[in-house]
Amino acid sequence: MSGAVNVEVLSKTYRVPEREAGFSAAARSFFRRKYRDVDAVKEVSFAIGRGEIVGFLGPNGAGKTTTLKMLSGLLHPTGGRADVLGFTPWDRKPEFLRSITLVMGQRNRLSWDIPAADSFLLNQAIYRIDDAQYKRTLAELDELLELAPIIKKPVRNLSLGERMKCELAAALLHGPQVLFLDEPTIGLDITAQARIRSFLREYNRRTGATILLTSHYMADVTALCERIIMIHHGQLKYDGGITDLSRRIAPVKLIGVALRDGAEADLTRYGELSAEENENGRRMIQVPAEDVASVTARLLSELPVQDLNIEDVPIEAVIEKAFNEGEPAQAEARPRAEARQETGA
Amino acid sequence: MHYLKIFSTLVKINVEQELAYRADTVINISQLIIWTAWDLLALSIIFTNTASLGGWGAGELVALLGVFRLVNALMAALIWPNTERFNTAMRDGTLDYTLLLPAPALLLVSFTRIAIWRVVDFVIAITLIVIGVTMSAGGLTVAGVLSFALLLSSGMVIFYSLWIAMLAFTFWFIKFDNNVTILQALLEAGRYPATVYPPWLRMIVTFIVPIALATTVPVQALRGELQWWQVLMFLGVAVVVVAVSLRIWRAGLRKYSGASA
Amino acid sequence: MIRIYRRFWQINWAEQWQYRANLLMYLAYWVVSPVVYLAVWSAVANAQGNVQGLTANDFVTYYMTLLIVDVLTSDITLHILAYKIQDGTLSGELLRPVHPILTGTLVNNLAFKALTFAALIPIWIVIYLLMRPDFSEVTAQSVLLTAPAILLGFGISFFMNSTLTSIAFWTTRVYGINEFFYVLSVLFSGQFVPLTLMPPVIQQIAQFLPFQLTRYFPTMLVLNRLTPEQVVQNYALAVFWLIALGVIFFIVWRAGVKRFSAVGA
Repeated sequence: MSGAVNVEVLSKTYRVPEREAGFSAAARSFFRRKYRDVDAVKEVSFAIGRGEIVGFLGPNGAGKTTTLKMLSGLLHPTGGRADVLGFTPWDRKPEFLRSITLVMGQRNRLSWDIPAADSFLLNQAIYRIDDAQYKRTLAELDELLELAPIIKKPVRNLSLGERMKCELAAALLHGPQVLFLDEPTIGLDITAQARIRSFLREYNRRTGATILLTSHYMADVTALCERIIMIHHGQLKYDGGITDLSRRIAPVKLIGVALRDGAEADLTRYGELSAEENENGRRMIQVPAEDVASVTARLLSELPVQDLNIEDVPIEAVIEKAFNEGEPAQAEARPRAEARQETGA
Repeated sequence: MHYLKIFSTLVKINVEQELAYRADTVINISQLIIWTAWDLLALSIIFTNTASLGGWGAGELVALLGVFRLVNALMAALIWPNTERFNTAMRDGTLDYTLLLPAPALLLVSFTRIAIWRVVDFVIAITLIVIGVTMSAGGLTVAGVLSFALLLSSGMVIFYSLWIAMLAFTFWFIKFDNNVTILQALLEAGRYPATVYPPWLRMIVTFIVPIALATTVPVQALRGELQWWQVLMFLGVAVVVVAVSLRIWRAGLRKYSGASA
Repeated sequence: MIRIYRRFWQINWAEQWQYRANLLMYLAYWVVSPVVYLAVWSAVANAQGNVQGLTANDFVTYYMTLLIVDVLTSDITLHILAYKIQDGTLSGELLRPVHPILTGTLVNNLAFKALTFAALIPIWIVIYLLMRPDFSEVTAQSVLLTAPAILLGFGISFFMNSTLTSIAFWTTRVYGINEFFYVLSVLFSGQFVPLTLMPPVIQQIAQFLPFQLTRYFPTMLVLNRLTPEQVVQNYALAVFWLIALGVIFFIVWRAGVKRFSAVGA
């Protein structure tokens, strides 16, 4: 059996017209246009087994969305191969489109003016879902997402969290086996995020669907994914377990400290100190994860602390760190065959 | 069959939406009636001052007005609302979702929004055509009526195809928000027989943006002015326009997905 | 004060310039109808020599003049402002210590006008070369005499449209109401046909309404087709309507703003 997703030396190069500022440059470029090639994705290879939930990470502009668009068939690559459930995505065969879904957190699929229920009906027709199957799926989604009270209202009247529930339901009505999720929790409050997260976990458990997910929220990734794939400047930088990554790259937490008015203290004694105060007027101290308890205790007893909190290092920072530390991750990237064996079956 | 199911679902959704905004519908329909009254008044003003316009009598102009309204209804019921939606989807990237659906993008792009209340427009248009034909009386032949019906449908198809081509151009020029304004602007020229226009304007509405093929030409067929080979030629033009437009549309989609690179 | 207007002009001109491609499309919209009427009526006049004394050339010069007058006196306040009232963004402008309509909106109108007019010139010249009309009716004197009528005409449509726009404070159906007004304008402004060809009833009513002052009156004035009595009468009427509509506008606007702040939109 093949896995869910197989990607081999996949590349995407955009040709962008290059132009200097100014009128004469604009006039010149009108006649002889210069192009510059931008590599959005450069020879990326990985494999994902059926039923896996994989976090797909990288800083903005790393090539995540481009990769997801190629895997869902929206974009043709300039080189390499991809295979999703045995299909070449960009052939866009109806059978392929019926077995995947793409959710982009920042873009609405549902029409604003009509209730989500109407959009669902349209999807039923488009995806040729028979009535019994449709009812069953909807009931199941309703149970997991509590849709009943919200799908009769016009989408424009829903809160952001409610809208995202409906978006997910619309994306999953046809029971796709592979889910590409691009920032599915963006902009949601903490409760709604947690809600979506537990839904995805439960959905994966029940249906055995494969999920490839990008997110800027560390919590999404840590709660859902055992494995992460990282890219930077279009190149694969890491492919492996999440615990390995944070242990190796960022086994630290951040303690935010606000002292009482006027109090001064040398915080560098407790750990590496961020350069500036953050917007709440506190300094952030970076502390090895295992020392958090002891350092917190010391801070409280030794200094006039007004307020204190403990945070994870933002995922962006972990990634940044991963890329800056002499790229050790590259060596860690597992051979594809091995990854498939471990996670497939 | 599958497409029919999708289409009927789209119609159903649009009907429900129309029912949700009843007051607006009433206002829209009353406006439509007022405009029709004005159109007829305008024709009567012309015909109190002349007996014929370019050889066409009052009845024939009423029929032409009906044909014009039919094309206009297509514009207002389908083209405007869907274009608006397409342009928004293009700008904010939600067009991606449409392209991921296992149904022809063209079907979804051109039929998602339907201004259902415009059926009133269709009814008025058909009524005008019937009245006009009765007024002009005499000389109706089966061949004439048949070629009228054929050319009218092919004219509508031509107009639809032009629209699709206009939409497809948006794939190359992202900021092409006025992709159909030019159609609407020139459509105004369809109210009167193209034969009264000065040659340059006739050229534009016949060859560049062939509004006349959808308006003047069918009524000419009804008047028995066209030879059979002319009818065939115009139908041939329709086939060519459809083929070319579909080609442009597909090329546009390929451009969008970066396949042509 | 001048400084404020200059700043507004700079902003609005730059903004309109961004939309220049859209503007060209609107212009196509603007030009087609008069050109079609021009073609229809000159065809009728050609076929029978004249229509109630008007020759084909008379029709061509009428519609070609109308094209220019229309750009100069028309007003786009509804499109600039109605949506701002509806989505509440007007509150930002109400905070400024100047009247939003008499500054920003007015200048935006003028910038739009300047750009459309500039774009109309080449199109107008092309039509001129195609039709070769005889404009000998127009004299330097008539042009000078028309200039104030253009200003009055713009003032009238500006206040009329601003009042209409203010209705948006009360109802979201302002575009529908505007459409009814558009029908009246088509009937009474002379944009379809010189008013003398309209049914007598409509002519009777039209001569008292403001609509003809924005299109028909300036057009006929520059073409020297009015008697001195008609010129004086129409000028007096124009001044009356300008003042009346100005007063109505200020009353409606004030009430609207009051409501706007009360509702807290």
